[in-house]
Amino acid sequence: MKENEKEITNYFNEIMRIKNICYPNQGQLDTVIGTRHYINNHYDKELNLNFLSHIRFTSKFHLLRLFKRYYGLTPKQHLIDRRLEKSKELLASGQSITETCFDIGFESPSSFSTLFKSKFGLTPSEFQKRATFTKSNNI
Amino acid sequence: MKVKVISIPVQDQEKALKFYTEKLGFLKKVDIPLSEGNRWLTVVSKEEPDGAEILLEPSPNHFEPAKVYQNALFDAGIPYTQFNCENVQQEYERLTSLGVEFSVKPTEMGTVKIAVFNDTCGNQIQIVQML
Repeated sequence: MKENEKEITNYFNEIMRIKNICYPNQGQLDTVIGTRHYINNHYDKELNLNFLSHIRFTSKFHLLRLFKRYYGLTPKQHLIDRRLEKSKELLASGQSITETCFDIGFESPSSFSTLFKSKFGLTPSEFQKRATFTKSNNI
Repeated sequence: MKVKVISIPVQDQEKALKFYTEKLGFLKKVDIPLSEGNRWLTVVSKEEPDGAEILLEPSPNHFEPAKVYQNALFDAGIPYTQFNCENVQQEYERLTSLGVEFSVKPTEMGTVKIAVFNDTCGNQIQIVQML
């Protein structure tokens, strides 16, 4: 046995076996990963399935099915998650709630607040107060 | 119910604290002395100090089946748990430069990239990046 073969664990072999079963189609992977990257980099823009499928040269229903299959959620759900995660950074840095709302691509501060609370369990202003308090305690 | 604490079995709590803070970059959160030199010792992510705490639990030293289970996972290279990061390749390079040993180098697995390292306290730990 060669020296480098000794270092390969059972876990690595198992990962490779499962990879070949679950991810044989590199074209599909490129499509969903490309879509996810696009959403991550353009979350502040108005994005919809028509547009996302157009830039990946595929049909919107096919893209929706693929994205959900590989990531377990729809492109729209991922977009909302990405926007809300980004909003936490902006709020923690002291930016106002209204400004944050528009910066991440939401149109209404009230729907932003409702979504934020449903995901994180507290309103944007409660989150901001807590983040400011934690920061001042760590100084 | 809330997820507040998850535990990782460690063979030496002090050594684990050093590894998880000095190498991985976690912060010590709670350190309460218990009987016979054991501690209720938790760390949190620096990026998410209000997130779930990791309890560095000395179970392998006090409960033989925990030790057997930990050793069996380690020998097969199976991670005890996993942490998310933004960039597995960068984290791999940073940790390698600090002397951390990897049993799985950065590897793409469908929609994720993973790598697995030895935490020097009896566990393989996986880092994951969503692609």
